[in-house]
Amino acid sequence: MAEKFDHLEEHLEKFVENIRQLGIIVSDFQPSSQAGLNQKLNFIVTGLQDIDKCRQQLHDITVPLEVFEYIDQGRNPQLYTKECLERALAKNEQVKGKIDTMKKFKSLLIQELSKVFPEDMAKYRSIRGEDHLPS
Amino acid sequence: MENFTALFGAQADPPPPPTALGFGPGKPPPPPPPPPGGGPGTAPPPTAATAPPGADKSGAGCGPFYLMRELPGSTELTGSTNLITHYNLEQAYNKFCGKKVKEKLSNFLPDLPGMIDLPGSHDNSSLRSLIEKPPILSSSFNPITGTMLAGFRLHTGPLPEQCRLMHIQPPKKKNKHKHKQSRTQDPVPPETPSDSDHKKKKKKKEEDPERKRKKKEKKKKKNRHSPDHPGMGSSQASSSSSLR
Repeated sequence: MAEKFDHLEEHLEKFVENIRQLGIIVSDFQPSSQAGLNQKLNFIVTGLQDIDKCRQQLHDITVPLEVFEYIDQGRNPQLYTKECLERALAKNEQVKGKIDTMKKFKSLLIQELSKVFPEDMAKYRSIRGEDHLPS
Repeated sequence: MENFTALFGAQADPPPPPTALGFGPGKPPPPPPPPPGGGPGTAPPPTAATAPPGADKSGAGCGPFYLMRELPGSTELTGSTNLITHYNLEQAYNKFCGKKVKEKLSNFLPDLPGMIDLPGSHDNSSLRSLIEKPPILSSSFNPITGTMLAGFRLHTGPLPEQCRLMHIQPPKKKNKHKHKQSRTQDPVPPETPSDSDHKKKKKKKEEDPERKRKKKEKKKKKNRHSPDHPGMGSSQASSSSSLR
């Protein structure tokens, strides 16, 4: 799994480096650097081809659209991961609280109903199975 | 209602163990005598013996109970389990939430050239626009041939300053990165302190011969004013004689 990303990362790094070098050539162009410029331009084409080839290995990877918003705003995309994990934990705790409360309510309700309707509750327990105790 | 308040009052305490809830080996207590008052909480309606027409089908064979459904299986994954530990994400949680994550994109991609912390909408380089309006492309990337390369002949000379976007780097605060900064194309800042030092040294060097001359002059004056000075060495005498 990680190899696929390493491969893509390597190609992207090479591509970025080529673009950087191209920028340097272009920023102070000399007639003698025409050959270098031509070479760099073709490196960029091959770089794009390499990146395009990586697409086949990564077709099953899904990226949340919200991450792009972070990157577009110049923010660290790890903040998105952080916020996602924090939101998940908070929601998890909330749901756990609800489930625990409902369990408490169920056990207390059965307790009280058993006092008032012992026969019916005995039937209920037999239907549910004696081993099925509210926790 | 009193029963309910007692019920919810007891909720604050930890729930009693299941055996205490009437599910233990002991039989349930005998039915209490009907209360004389017959309040709403103590006199519930008798349970329906037959299911009403709209009742759930699963409850058809459940005796006096209707609307009775199968309980969810205990193996089902719910929010009652810590899902972060369940999916082995503790390490990721500690990594991202344990310490402060730096805000800027350049902290995530420190080696990327150019000013990447600016919003993409400024220079129309946002990823969102790439998805919403994908560029029209051919099916494959073809190498640029000789005739096509002729279109890439540029004017000689440096680009104007405002076009040099590649050279702008986001400011780095910490001293740790000083070494890296000197490697990048920032020509001016690291040189300034050494320049000033050099000037100071030059000044010192320039001052030195003047000082020497002044000192010599002072000595000469002293010699003139006090020719019989006892501390005067033979060498000075000889030099003065040689001057004459």
